[in-house]
Amino acid sequence: MSVGRLVEESVKGMGSMHVKFASVHIIIKMGEEMPEIVAFMKLALEQAKIAFDNLEVPVGCVIVMDGKVISCGRNRTNETRNATRHAEMEAIDVLLEEWKEKGLTKHEVADMFSKCYLYVTCEPCIMCASALSFIGIKEVYYGCSNDKFGGCGSILSLHTNTTTSDSGEDVGRKSYKCTGGIMGEEAVSLFRNFYELGNPNAPKPHRQPIQQP
Amino acid sequence: MAVIAFSGASTRSSGSRPRSGDFNSRDLLLKRFLPCSPPYAIASPVKPTARDLRTPQLQLGNMNKCEENKSWEIIHIPDKPPFPLHQQPTVKVYAAVIDPKHANTLKPSSCQTSSKTRPNEGCIHLSVILCLAGESESQLDNIPQEVVEFINSYKLETFITKVCKYAPLSKEEWIEQCKIWPTSYHPPTYNIRGITGFSKEESNSVCTFMKQALDLAKCECQMMNAAIIIDPSTNEVIAEARDQVNSCSCCSINHEATSQNHDKLLLNSSATKPKLLNYGNGVSCLNPWKWSNQKSCAWHPLRHAAIVAIENSSVRDKLLFHDNEHVADNLDETNPLLKKQKIKSIHVKNEEEVVNSQSNGRPYLCTGYDIYLVWEPCAMCAMALVHQRVKCIFFAFPNKSDGALGSVHRLQGEKSLNHHYAVFRVMLPQESFDECLM
Repeated sequence: MSVGRLVEESVKGMGSMHVKFASVHIIIKMGEEMPEIVAFMKLALEQAKIAFDNLEVPVGCVIVMDGKVISCGRNRTNETRNATRHAEMEAIDVLLEEWKEKGLTKHEVADMFSKCYLYVTCEPCIMCASALSFIGIKEVYYGCSNDKFGGCGSILSLHTNTTTSDSGEDVGRKSYKCTGGIMGEEAVSLFRNFYELGNPNAPKPHRQPIQQP
Repeated sequence: MAVIAFSGASTRSSGSRPRSGDFNSRDLLLKRFLPCSPPYAIASPVKPTARDLRTPQLQLGNMNKCEENKSWEIIHIPDKPPFPLHQQPTVKVYAAVIDPKHANTLKPSSCQTSSKTRPNEGCIHLSVILCLAGESESQLDNIPQEVVEFINSYKLETFITKVCKYAPLSKEEWIEQCKIWPTSYHPPTYNIRGITGFSKEESNSVCTFMKQALDLAKCECQMMNAAIIIDPSTNEVIAEARDQVNSCSCCSINHEATSQNHDKLLLNSSATKPKLLNYGNGVSCLNPWKWSNQKSCAWHPLRHAAIVAIENSSVRDKLLFHDNEHVADNLDETNPLLKKQKIKSIHVKNEEEVVNSQSNGRPYLCTGYDIYLVWEPCAMCAMALVHQRVKCIFFAFPNKSDGALGSVHRLQGEKSLNHHYAVFRVMLPQESFDECLM
């Protein structure tokens, strides 16, 4: 069962509830918290749509600090010919660039990241989940789960453990809270639209079936 | 010959060690483990035959020695963790002794190859595995109906026994497993170069590139991780990089010195022997959080060597093939074929289209390329290499704290991923190892 489905079924029960699934906490409060989360996720979905329009796998994200969007990113793997240019990596790089220009020290940058919330349309992959623990993000909200590559509970759980050196200082990963199933349906339908373009019956330009010369 | 069908099927279908919850359904298990129909197979107490013992290749610990570098060894890291010889994991099964006369009628057609029987103290002793038994000792009620019918029709007396869960990876494992339940051994048949042994030339070039990576990893202040992506079909260096998490002036790569000029590089590094203050301390994949403690000016917490090398390879890709796209742009209106081609190259996403794009001469990402890393990559880098479709990974030192190719995680064995590379550890001779630590 996907995380999205779980949330959906929980919502039918209404009220406030707390579901634990594969070490991902799904908190549903039909109160003050949700509208803000949904609003940010809508912005992430807008980024995903831009990716879609650019013939990229439609994933988008925004990074929020103190209630304000401070960075956004979208998948650019085809454009860059670099399969590591996922939305999360793009958004992180925007911030690093900006903060370095401002002359922030590494310690200050680490401090900034520890106040950041990431809203991403699809569960971060193993690479991005790992990267997010390296920079020390505070919290992650995602749309649909990622049954093939997910690093926040689906395949590996890279958001759960903090590693420290022998002397006790943090040298490795920082754990972060991760919540899935925020507007998962919308994220999935974007994927569906994207992959349907490969359907030979689709009216618009689509991926060609194999034609050997 | 049930066990080989049994355990062989389990290994190939599940690959990595199953996570808890994988094997809940008995039906699923039966289908997975006993794919033949009827759903049981005959086990014969087979002793290893001379032919079996002559089968040369071992998968685990398969060492390829470089001819000119006698103490260098290349070891394949399989997609599931090796178990100690005497602690092979087992599962409980229902089995029954059968009359050898019935062996032919009982024997499933798909298992005919290993139906040898051996006299055991004068009489032939034959047992058959019926189905998996639950962990609880509760009796026959959880045997599938068709198996119950089979038991009844031949009036079999069942017993519960243990058999090995996974197919043997090596001859040694197989011999050990045969003490529990005899099987025959099928060496793994992979089509990936190297798993069943490297040629002399291949071994030598592996050692050469690993040396090159080791030299690249040394800089004046500390040992870092380094990555070199090569095209094994031409031995061309596609990209190289080292950690750029904490770059200082001495750490930036001098491209003139390194660009495909191995001899020069070797000279450089031997002239200035680096002093390592803290062994491995500067390696990003080992100390990812280290970036926040440094005071140097140029830094990026995620620019581990493998990530930078991938970026360099994609820049090269764009430079080399950008013109083609540009030409296609200009000719769009006059030549619809080119336009089609362009659309294809933009849309490349699955393996089928890899064929397509390769027919245009443009490889899909790093398909077919190998990467050499000094240290085993962390989960971020290992997954990046999955995304970029690298074919083989060679590394020298394991990363006990965060390694994702066997030390902590084992991405090459995660079946859900859409791409799998072969992983090898290159064991350095003592003197090279010492040189790294000096």
